[in-house]
Amino acid sequence: MPENPTRHVPASIPFSAKGLHSGPRSMESGARNDSTIGTSASSPLSSGRGSRQALCLWLPTFELRLELVRFPELDSTSVALLSSEGGVRRRIQQVSERAHTAGVRPGQLVSQAVSLCPSLTLLEPDPAHYDATQEAMLEALAELTPVVEPAGRGRVFLGMDGLGRLYGSPPTQAQRALRHLFRVFPAPLVAATRAGYAPGKFGAWVAAVQAGPGRPVLVAEEELGPFLARCPISALPVDGAMVERLERLGVNTMGELARLPEAALVGQFGDAGRDALAWATGGRIDPVRPWHRPRPIRVSLDFPAPVGQTMPLHGALDRLLERALSRPARRGRSVAALRLIAHLEGGGSWTAEQVLREPSAQRETLAFVLRSRIALSPPAGAVERLVLELTQFGPASSQDELFSRNEQGGREAGGHGFTEGEVPVSLKDAVKELKLRLGYSPLYLVVEVDPWSRIPERRHALLSFDP
Amino acid sequence: MSAPPRLRALNEPRRVRVRTDAGGRPTAVALPGPGRRNFRPVESVRESWRIDDEWWRRPISRLYHDVVVEGGQFVVLYRDLTDGGWYVQR
Repeated sequence: MPENPTRHVPASIPFSAKGLHSGPRSMESGARNDSTIGTSASSPLSSGRGSRQALCLWLPTFELRLELVRFPELDSTSVALLSSEGGVRRRIQQVSERAHTAGVRPGQLVSQAVSLCPSLTLLEPDPAHYDATQEAMLEALAELTPVVEPAGRGRVFLGMDGLGRLYGSPPTQAQRALRHLFRVFPAPLVAATRAGYAPGKFGAWVAAVQAGPGRPVLVAEEELGPFLARCPISALPVDGAMVERLERLGVNTMGELARLPEAALVGQFGDAGRDALAWATGGRIDPVRPWHRPRPIRVSLDFPAPVGQTMPLHGALDRLLERALSRPARRGRSVAALRLIAHLEGGGSWTAEQVLREPSAQRETLAFVLRSRIALSPPAGAVERLVLELTQFGPASSQDELFSRNEQGGREAGGHGFTEGEVPVSLKDAVKELKLRLGYSPLYLVVEVDPWSRIPERRHALLSFDP
Repeated sequence: MSAPPRLRALNEPRRVRVRTDAGGRPTAVALPGPGRRNFRPVESVRESWRIDDEWWRRPISRLYHDVVVEGGQFVVLYRDLTDGGWYVQR
């Protein structure tokens, strides 16, 4: 296994509780992740669905490494990746080893970082690229085991139950997974992969943090308790304030925590105290659950010229929602989560992912949610391409028929006039006939792009019309 | 799977041949289109304005003239100050 040519400093300190709670944090950063380590607990005797034996593969500074694969000339320089949040006061998300040596740390303001390291190269994040690579990684690892669960960018859990006869002993299984990554991805990306093998995701993650590049840490069933006992309590997936309080009381390792009576912990911390004890003693095992993600509905729009203003983005968003909602695959389902990706001028990308409190199929509701996200954290540059993905779906909405363009919906059903975006059947038939004859729809819609632009050709555009 | 739809810009400028006076103002224009290759004299310049934009990207610098050509047709012309060419645009 080749050693990592450039060692990078992890964005989050290993063993921090924050690092373990990657679910919500990853959602914020745009990574598709529906799991939080430590929250899907089950009894050690009955793990239910999923795999009890877990292999955690962790690629520290995954995003920065992807950038260095793209710009290898930066590999030996001081590099920092900016956080995805736009605005004036940008912060550092990840740093290379050289930058770390110069004093640059994740979370610092750009101004602080540059004053510490004047030669620092700042890279704009490209979340769409990171997510695409993460997805490719999940697909590649699914060739090894059907139970693959992502936990944020650069971290994946594999369910290894029942794979002994196929791949051999746990060490062989771990090495095989690492070799598989090397076969599929460039070495600079995966060279620093840490692997941890243990019962449950929590144990596997703690083991992965202790592992070195190409040197997996394996924890057998009977060794889990003693292994966890040596680990600091900051690794526990509990509230940071609780960890801080325990440390002030002189409880620094999980072993020390395990020696405390359960009643005392419950008295001090409530249910969280009981949970912490269960994790610390290895009494709670969280199985790896197969990750199911419905195939997203994806629509995109290329701008003739990069767009830096909000209004044309809103217009394009409306067009995209209209098209996505009219897709046959969406019919009969409401939208529970959606993602907007903007490919920026000069490289880089921006994403906003939103899970709806209540699934909806109404364009205005969905547009409002995404517009709010754009207002809160606008793209850091002009947008060349806008992509909308409907990623999760809910039950059919009672409003659904209003958006249906079939004969039962709209005018024929209710006797009312055409709703916005509705297409008369006669026009649909005409387009179908033209497409049969010409091979494409020769009809176009005039859409507003940037109606107040000083440059006349930027104001309106033609969008192919294919209902 | 067809290629993703691309917004096609409307009202894109078209290159034209223009004769100018000593001050650089248009005096005749050969409008594009069949049978319209001959120069048509400019009867009057109604308005002129300049646009400078996107200096941070690919600079746009145009000097527009809203003119009336022989026959009474209104035409909007501009001289691209970056490449020196003349264009017609609605």
